[in-house]
Amino acid sequence: MDDVANEAKAFFIIGSNTTEQHPVFGTMLRRAVRYRSAKLVVADPRKIDITEIATLHLRHRPGTDISLLNGLMYIILEKGWQDQSFIDERTENFDEFKATVMQYPPDKVSETTNIPVEQLYEAAEIIASSKPTAVLWAMGITQHIVGVRNVMDLANLQMLLGNMGKPGGGVNPLRGQNNVQGACDMGGLPNVYTAYQPVTSEEAREKFAKAWGLRTKDELGRMKDEEFSLSPSSFILSDKVGLTVTEMIPGILDGKIKSLYIIGEDPVMSDPDTNHIRKCLSSVDFLVLQEIFPSETAAYADVLLPGSSFAEKTGTFTNTERRVQIVRQAIEPLGDSKPDWWILSQLAKKLLARISDRVRKDAPHAGWEYSNTSEIMSEINALTPSYGGITHARLEAGERLQWPCPTADHPGTPILHTKQFTRGKGKFMPIDHVPPAERPDDEYPMVMSTGRVLYHWHGGQMTRRAEGIMQVYGEALVELNPDDAEKLGVNGRNILRITSRRGSIEAQAWVTDRVPPGMVYANFHFPEASANELTHASLDPVSKIPSYKVTAVRVELV
Amino acid sequence: MTNKKIIYRPISPEIEELAREHGNEPEAALELLKEIQTHHSVLTPTSITDAARALKLPPHQLYGMATFYSMLSLEERKKVLRVCDGPVCWLKRANGQSPVNSDQLVSEWQNKIGGEFSVERTSCLGLCDRAPAVLVEDEQAGPVEANEANKVCEGWRGVQTDFSEVRKGEVRVMTSLIGKIDPDSIEDALANGVYDGLKKALQTDPGTVLSEVESSGLQGRGGAGFPVGRKWRFVASEKRTPRYIICNADESEPLIFKDRVLIDTNPHQLIEGMTIAGYACGASEAWIYIRGEYEYQARRLEKAIEQAKAKHLLGENISGTDFSFNIHVHRGAGAYICGEETALIESLEGKRGEPRLRPPYPPTYGFRGQPTTVNNVESFCAVPHILKNGAEWWKSLSTYATPGTKMYMVLGHVKNPGLFEAPFGLTLRQIIEEFGGGMADDSAFKFALCGGAAGTIVDESLLDVPIDFSSGQKGISLGAGSFLICDQSVSPVTMLRELLHFFAIESCGKCTPCRVGTWRSLETLKHLAAGKGQKGDLDELKTLAELMQDSSFCGLGQSVAIPMKSALTHFGAEFTKAENNVQR
Amino acid sequence: MINLKINGKEIQAESGKTVLQVAKEHDIHIPTLCYHKDLNPTGNCRMCIVEVKGGRFLQAACVTPVWEGMEIETSSEKVMKDRKLTLELMLANHPVDCLICDVSGECELQDLAYEYQAKVPDWGAKGTRYPVDSDPNPFIRVDMNKCILCRRCELACAEIQGRDVWGVAKRGFEEVIVAGAGVPLLEARCESCGQCVAYCPTGALSNKMNYGMGRAHQVKKVTTTCSYCGVGCQFDLLVKNNKVIGVSSNPDAPVNGMALCVKGRYGYDFIHHPDRLTKPKVRRYLLEGKKKSDIRNSIVDSQKSKVELSNFGSPWDWVETEWDKALDIIADKLTDTRTNFGADTMGFLTSAKCLNEENYLMNKLARQVIGTNNIDHCARL
Repeated sequence: MDDVANEAKAFFIIGSNTTEQHPVFGTMLRRAVRYRSAKLVVADPRKIDITEIATLHLRHRPGTDISLLNGLMYIILEKGWQDQSFIDERTENFDEFKATVMQYPPDKVSETTNIPVEQLYEAAEIIASSKPTAVLWAMGITQHIVGVRNVMDLANLQMLLGNMGKPGGGVNPLRGQNNVQGACDMGGLPNVYTAYQPVTSEEAREKFAKAWGLRTKDELGRMKDEEFSLSPSSFILSDKVGLTVTEMIPGILDGKIKSLYIIGEDPVMSDPDTNHIRKCLSSVDFLVLQEIFPSETAAYADVLLPGSSFAEKTGTFTNTERRVQIVRQAIEPLGDSKPDWWILSQLAKKLLARISDRVRKDAPHAGWEYSNTSEIMSEINALTPSYGGITHARLEAGERLQWPCPTADHPGTPILHTKQFTRGKGKFMPIDHVPPAERPDDEYPMVMSTGRVLYHWHGGQMTRRAEGIMQVYGEALVELNPDDAEKLGVNGRNILRITSRRGSIEAQAWVTDRVPPGMVYANFHFPEASANELTHASLDPVSKIPSYKVTAVRVELV
Repeated sequence: MTNKKIIYRPISPEIEELAREHGNEPEAALELLKEIQTHHSVLTPTSITDAARALKLPPHQLYGMATFYSMLSLEERKKVLRVCDGPVCWLKRANGQSPVNSDQLVSEWQNKIGGEFSVERTSCLGLCDRAPAVLVEDEQAGPVEANEANKVCEGWRGVQTDFSEVRKGEVRVMTSLIGKIDPDSIEDALANGVYDGLKKALQTDPGTVLSEVESSGLQGRGGAGFPVGRKWRFVASEKRTPRYIICNADESEPLIFKDRVLIDTNPHQLIEGMTIAGYACGASEAWIYIRGEYEYQARRLEKAIEQAKAKHLLGENISGTDFSFNIHVHRGAGAYICGEETALIESLEGKRGEPRLRPPYPPTYGFRGQPTTVNNVESFCAVPHILKNGAEWWKSLSTYATPGTKMYMVLGHVKNPGLFEAPFGLTLRQIIEEFGGGMADDSAFKFALCGGAAGTIVDESLLDVPIDFSSGQKGISLGAGSFLICDQSVSPVTMLRELLHFFAIESCGKCTPCRVGTWRSLETLKHLAAGKGQKGDLDELKTLAELMQDSSFCGLGQSVAIPMKSALTHFGAEFTKAENNVQR
Repeated sequence: MINLKINGKEIQAESGKTVLQVAKEHDIHIPTLCYHKDLNPTGNCRMCIVEVKGGRFLQAACVTPVWEGMEIETSSEKVMKDRKLTLELMLANHPVDCLICDVSGECELQDLAYEYQAKVPDWGAKGTRYPVDSDPNPFIRVDMNKCILCRRCELACAEIQGRDVWGVAKRGFEEVIVAGAGVPLLEARCESCGQCVAYCPTGALSNKMNYGMGRAHQVKKVTTTCSYCGVGCQFDLLVKNNKVIGVSSNPDAPVNGMALCVKGRYGYDFIHHPDRLTKPKVRRYLLEGKKKSDIRNSIVDSQKSKVELSNFGSPWDWVETEWDKALDIIADKLTDTRTNFGADTMGFLTSAKCLNEENYLMNKLARQVIGTNNIDHCARL
């Protein structure tokens, strides 16, 4: 983030409400614009706060990001602003990509996106002429049925301009949760072990099998029949890619999922189409919830385990720039609550006692006897190449480490892809615009987009229990354009009913020109009026991310 | 950002329109606030916020301005009558046994003039020749007392001072055309040789012009006496363009009104001088920052600028040369501190008039961060004559070490108060006896306040010291050239109280020593003057004076000590008497 | 490099640096108040004045650049006297309530008054000029009586947060810090980040939520990482009697320095919220050895009534248990599921709010112990 904030000559922010969602990073951008005269182009249907200081604000229609990006790249190619030597030396598939982009002349793009042609030219010029330009994006890009394509197209843009792997350049996703990066790094994904070692890779499975005390393929072959107390598959690591959260929960209804173990997540608030989620969760055979609060999801749990907050345990978080930082215990866990790592290790020991034979006790990391998280980190070091040298001792000594940091004497890596891409050459991907899954029609004439607000966090479990914050923002407010307000007869603080094909909520109107006419913006911080009652579960086919940013709704005055 | 306190409200269309007329330029903040106030008789947090939004400035900046400049107000006022609370007007009223304290003054006027006007005090209006003075909306009036309020309502504005009579011993250069031309007629000016200096300058190169001004030895007439030519050289030698010329016409120091007279009697002389400066420094744009109370003079200048443009003496390609030069008139809004050149620049940029850190100095980092020269009205007025007649001629005007002539003001208990032009090196005795016609009847010299409000308070021991920019070291200052002569009826303690009253009100508040030091000094002096002094008051005054002089941020705070220290030096006995509660 | 002397000592310094910076590099103490290393120096307060040989006036060290041959005295008699007097001018209007002031102990004005043994003058307003706690916002306690007009709040708002809420109004002795056009903070579009509080050298701006709950010397500061967004700000938790009573900026934080947002700085009170789960709970039917499929009706009833955590004797009631019991129940149920339906019918949702170490364990639990790759978290949401 430092390099982006300090070295980028321009920023292109698309799909990130940076100053509200990543406020401190937002301040760095503001400083860069105010005191370093960096240029700023913001593409967002809403007039979000950071547009106040933007050089240019592109107010495109929700769900037309690809068209916009291709349009900008068309102009860049038309004007010859691309970095041809970068394209030639470090990328491939340029011609095919170019053929696609050439289908997006400015007039056509202007029609799709509703951005004036002059603004497209102006934006392309700023982005192309500032070296380097940093692209910043967040959920506004990914929470679409074309989320992955959106991201790829941003990569196309940056490769086209030669802004990849440069300090102050690159495509910079702003991760939402404090440790979403760490959860991914630590194998909290259905397809990979730690550090993205694929579960489908024989080599990776072998490595983890040896460490964790499971049988490798060879060992399985050498096992004698009498050793098979269970089916052979019980002795190995699964090579089948698992289900994502957006598949698991609906999977309950068709019997694919029988039990769920959830730590610190609140699908009722955070997942799309709340009604459907409720139905699924009430049907599951067994649901364990490990939480610090009785969340909305707790109503469906069979067992509720009291975890502890970040103030009650020691360990590490990894931030959006892959920086691993210490979390220190400040107070004893409240009441009889326990740190989540303690709970998991106790449970694992009980499970292993019941599922005997599966795990060989003599493997180096088979056991679950941890007396602190530093010991767990040592195990992570051994199995996770990019975390190989990141120890609590180094962090406690004040070292500032960003992964990859493979060895104990490695200083960490602030910027990725400086010399080459992970796959060697960067590949241009031809990407075409696809209209959103749900579009406004006569019955549901407006578009609702969802997201968070400065004062609240996600499902609101924490911030709704912060007194001061509730005084400032204590109820769900739905942003409504003044023109629409006038049409609806909204005068001041009226209650609106917002209805989609899936449900209906009532919330106060907050009349503001932040949203364009025809659009409302709602958040999912408050259970009594959560936007996710309305959203739909159409997913990006690759990432399985729901398309929160475009829902067709009807808005009425209550 | 959303929170439940923020209610969507578009900018008022009227304010949006006004802002658009100024091109939504942040520098227009002060004008915009003034216009809003004119339309609505008041500024409100809402209108201030709207103005800020329209100009894309922080609301606090405009609110800071609205509460900084005395001519702006957050209280609703109809017509405004500003009563001069300066020391010369105070002296006149004190002699006439009128109320002397500002609150009494305001309430007396308010009672007399009734509800049609909102009456408020104001620091010296620069109408010392017409004391006691008032400002009726933007019209200068004086001499006028509260019991003449009904006449004021009827439109009576007092008597203009006639400066055409040449005093014995005067050497008139800048004032030579007073009474000989119609100041609003460029034809008159041209017929009498105004713009000849410019025409001559344009026939040579800027370097030659610069050298001529340098070798004339002209020193800045604002009070500090910095060589004008050297300042211009700094600006001219800066690589960066554009460069700017600024005329400091924020004549706000009590006792000083010479710039007003120069503008009133011959505005083209100033325009000519500034244009020559622009030519010499390689600048093409200039501002006259004139105090808001000089609305009459501001209009006169605007008229003169239009006339000069029509004659191609200003504007694009002046007199057919490649040189283009434009002058804008910018009105202040009531703040003495804006006479400090960096505060003036801040104000011109649409901010509170607070002094900037120095270095960098304006010649390197001035208006809009560009090379800028800021000179006094009188300095610019001298320039055309130097160009026209040569540096040697300028030097020959004076037999004294400091070349050229100077504008002087003599006020108070002399027979013939007023304004005159003479060479440097006059003594206070000469000023009183030769130019002021001697002490007034029944008056004996007690002390003089020399230079201006931030000048020295001297007793008769310094009557015979020749005065120039460096004589301050000997205890008698020239400052901007004003001399307030006081007789036995005036106590130096009360005079000092009046001065501190001014400084405390006009302190910008940026630095601690001046912000609190002036306030505390005033409090102490009020006690002393009221016969409620206490042991230790004198020591405290001395200590505060030292502190303000040594440690203040800018010249304003530093110079407050000058009258304080000199008064305590020369009239220590009177202060001691006051401290000891000796009723006199 | 240029040569200069400070207090008679020959010193070499880089040109362009200020007297204060050079003095600091050589461990020469010059007191400051309006100066802060993160903010542009303004030279307002005049505490850092030093004597420069040949100069007519004392110079503020924070804004005076060094020059070749400069000779500086940082603690001459004149300098010490002026600093003390300047302090006394500040104290004249400042309330004398250090005994009960929240920031006592970390107040820069108090420290300097002590260092210079400044006297509180017997004149002045003594903190009677403005209402105490004058702003209605829930986070920032405003007491302009304690303000010394250093303007660090204005600069912190502008230069750190990139906002322009605080500013200066009026002039001279009446000068006062205001929000926006003299309106309450929230109306002035304050984002409640509290940067101004972090940079305020006195008690003029302090934290409202923990006012009176603990002073600097009474709290333990524990440096940790914020649990809200992915930026990774660090700060200190203020702990007293095993209770988190507040958050304060830690200037050494790698990502954010002194900056925090409203959630990080003021969103900490969820930690001790009475809703916190402090005991394992299981549904009664599990203790009674019933099957979930047999009690569906009770579940539906309970969910309809929307009464949670109550005890109506329903099999769907929560019952508090000991850890061992709760974990045994889970282990039994999970083992049953695994045996009867297979590992791939079990889903694990780990948490982006939890530690790396905990996420690793969850991944190990699903894959090593259970044998499924059905593990995910909310990265997509």
